Amino acid sequence: MSKPHYDLEHHVKKATGIGDPQCFKGEAGDPRFKVGDKVKIRDLPDVFYTRTQAYTRGCEATVVRLVYETPPAEDEAWDNTENVEWMYSLLFKQKDLWPEYADAFSQDTLETEIPEHWLEPA
Amino acid sequence: MSEATRKRVLNHLDYVGLLQPAIHTETHAPSPDEVTNDQYRAYTRPSHDIGGERDVSIQWEEKEEEIWEHNTFVTCEVLAWRGVWNAEERRRRQNVDVGQTQYLGLPYYGRWLLTAALILVDKQFVTLTELHEKIDEVSKRYE
Repeated sequence: MSKPHYDLEHHVKKATGIGDPQCFKGEAGDPRFKVGDKVKIRDLPDVFYTRTQAYTRGCEATVVRLVYETPPAEDEAWDNTENVEWMYSLLFKQKDLWPEYADAFSQDTLETEIPEHWLEPA
Repeated sequence: MSEATRKRVLNHLDYVGLLQPAIHTETHAPSPDEVTNDQYRAYTRPSHDIGGERDVSIQWEEKEEEIWEHNTFVTCEVLAWRGVWNAEERRRRQNVDVGQTQYLGLPYYGRWLLTAALILVDKQFVTLTELHEKIDEVSKRYE
């Protein structure tokens, strides 16, 4: 079996003096959602890796900000950086996430960032 | 809302709380039909995805970082500057690839350090034999 060759310079060349995720700016194309849109988190497999929290699956949220463009964590964790996506900052109602959440705090919210391929229109 | 998904999610979060590094019963290579869907989902989940799990509260303790922890952090950053890994690959390896027992059972920078050693072996910068010999050599300095 031959040894694989790793390109040790491609990320350094891309990000030096610019920063990461700034170095991916302009690579994600047009965003699928805009601020104010209602979205729902897909129930995708999470085998091997994800940073999309299990507790958000199937829940609805509101887009509050398009944060930056980046390869999704599932890809970047194996250094696959070709498919760049928009990251969305999403606002959830705590009552939607946790059935036992106290009614007295029904206005509480939770904000977290999730990549575009996890989202579908609500 | 996806009622079926939400029900599965909440059931999953209840179930994974039962997975703790402890010996409960023998589970030696079970037959496929002995592994339930709940168990499969719990076994294969990313071990860092702990949000919503039921657990007991733990004591908060302020602790200053030690020299070996700073050295470990710097080593891992240098590996990134040298292109050996990126931050997401580092997180994947130290938070998920280690599995739940090591994730919950080892100190934070202990996982960083183990992972820094493993990436060097995985990407063939050193052989495992070389690493074992080096660990043995350094250990003997303290005998």
